[in-house]
Amino acid sequence: MTMAKDAEPAVRPVRDTTRRSELAWLASRREVLVAAAIILVIGISTAVHSYFWSSANISFIFADSIVVACLALGESFVMLGRGIDLSVGSIMGMSAIIVGFQIQNHNMTLFPALVFGAAIGIALGLGNALLVGVARLPPIIATLGTFSVYSGLEFVVTNGLQVDTIPNSLTNLGVHTVLPGVPILLVAALPLFIIGAIVLRYTTFGRAIYAVGDDSEAAYRAGIPVQRILFSTYVISGFTAGLAGIVLLIHTSGASSTTGNTDNLNAIAAALIGGTALTGGRGGAFGALIGSVFLSATLTALSYVHVSDIWQPAGVGVLVLLAVIYDSRGNAVRLPRMLRRRRT
Amino acid sequence: MTTLALPKRWQVPGWGLCLMIAMLGELTYFTFTTRYFAANGVPGILVLAEQFAPTGVLALGMAMVILTGSIDLSAGANASLTAIICGLGLEKGYNMWLCILAAIIAGTLVGLANGLLVALAGIDSLLVTLATQFIVTSILTSLAGAEPPFNFSVTFQGLGQGTVADIPDDVLVFLVLGVATILIVNYTTLGRSLVLTGFSQRAAQYTGIATRKTLASVFTINGAFAGVAGVLLAAYYNSAQPDTGTILLLPAITIVVLGGVDIFGGRGRIGEVIIAGFLLGYLSQGMLIEGNSSLTITMVTGLVLIGALVLKISLERNFRQLLSVRMQRLRTRHP
Repeated sequence: MTMAKDAEPAVRPVRDTTRRSELAWLASRREVLVAAAIILVIGISTAVHSYFWSSANISFIFADSIVVACLALGESFVMLGRGIDLSVGSIMGMSAIIVGFQIQNHNMTLFPALVFGAAIGIALGLGNALLVGVARLPPIIATLGTFSVYSGLEFVVTNGLQVDTIPNSLTNLGVHTVLPGVPILLVAALPLFIIGAIVLRYTTFGRAIYAVGDDSEAAYRAGIPVQRILFSTYVISGFTAGLAGIVLLIHTSGASSTTGNTDNLNAIAAALIGGTALTGGRGGAFGALIGSVFLSATLTALSYVHVSDIWQPAGVGVLVLLAVIYDSRGNAVRLPRMLRRRRT
Repeated sequence: MTTLALPKRWQVPGWGLCLMIAMLGELTYFTFTTRYFAANGVPGILVLAEQFAPTGVLALGMAMVILTGSIDLSAGANASLTAIICGLGLEKGYNMWLCILAAIIAGTLVGLANGLLVALAGIDSLLVTLATQFIVTSILTSLAGAEPPFNFSVTFQGLGQGTVADIPDDVLVFLVLGVATILIVNYTTLGRSLVLTGFSQRAAQYTGIATRKTLASVFTINGAFAGVAGVLLAAYYNSAQPDTGTILLLPAITIVVLGGVDIFGGRGRIGEVIIAGFLLGYLSQGMLIEGNSSLTITMVTGLVLIGALVLKISLERNFRQLLSVRMQRLRTRHP
């Protein structure tokens, strides 16, 4: 990372270098804030409804959040590079439905299923990567297009059939707990996030993503292969979305041809709530996990106070707006085109 | 790439011409391959257009939003909302025009909310409208309830299915709004400032244009257009389903991009967007008549969106290179 010195504004330091007390630093971390919010939500819900604080419910919240967390992890990589991937949901759906049929009809076991799902995810992510990294399309439009292509493909592949029998040996992973409230699924998924965090924080590649997201021009001048970095973020996003498909099968024990069509917002919301900015260059892997746990806990809490499912999207929408408004305090005058690539 | 020839008086809207030719080719293709496509001659083909006129209306509003360099992902959901509001009012037996007015006002209000969030809070329009899309979806699903309104009065249905001198009412509304949009964008202060805002917001600010006001007004107008689209949808289908407008978002954006509007804002012609509307509309109609499922058509729409953009961006790049080479040669020849 010698170029970090040459192009200082390109790489934002991981933590603020200004001397502040450790406590203030801790309070300014988004992950800590969101964790506090999660505890608050759980506390209030338990006070209203004592069953909320039970091993079964807490482990359900965790298992539920892992699906979105996997999507949000890949989405974070893309967003850190100042892109956006609106197709993660349908990539997840494709992986879930194709692998689901293999599991249902051909008794595929867990490990091949994971490999197969990841392969499907990478293949579809490659489509996005080619469009954004090679053909240089603006990411919103490219992924909006692939979103419709993939969700159409999902229907064509399945012919409208659905997967509904997943063997217990798999679904138990989401139900059985290691400790009270901690499902096997969470423990199994944790390494993914640790690897993600290490890649982002300690590898040249990871730092290059931050650099590209912060200022692609500066990154280019610092010798970072900008297009190649962008290319790989979309492949990574496809990869994690493919894995998310398998997690979804384990958690919901089924998939249909419309699976995942509404999960794009949840993934983006989780990443945003976890502190990853849409303007690139800020955020991290654990934010995705914490953000999705928060999302999951809040939505579960809503259903505990008898708010109809219909209002769940609105809840997510409001949370996104709140997270973004919180982010943009102080610099309210922003160019609305920040997200999109500048003209060449 | 919007103009082909260099001398000013020979300017041809190249992209529009390409679209025209593509549309004629497509019409000829479907006429010869599909028996029912041209069974009733030109009026029959015009009647086919009434199905995609609401999409076209959405696309017109979207084109203005994209010209400012923003995007509105909530327009489709907004159209659904207005369709349901209009339908609920009709079902309760209120005056037809009152219902239509209420629907358009509701659409305008949603647009205004988007505009205020984008302009005042300074949040990226993509995020704002992604969030409002889901909020609006929740509202409209709860409004629609288990039994969405259907079976309206004959006069209201006439709006969606009647014709004036062989031109269906829907298409007429689309064309009138299209002309209005051309006038707004090309001949009003708002139009000029929205295009400049899209081209470079900073330049627009330095010129003294109230960019925030411009953004807010454009989103509001877009909301009103979504309202009109919703009313047309309710009239055409004689019912107001929750997803009736939501599924039109992608086709609308595709039409705008296909119509040659620069996705970064600041460049584009509404006339070409209108032609693109007919092009994409007839493509999906032809495929429907050929017996494809609507999801296949969604897939094709996505492919067209990507294909058009790849083509346009690569054409622009090559064209610019070609231009610079020519200019250099000219310069070396006449120093």
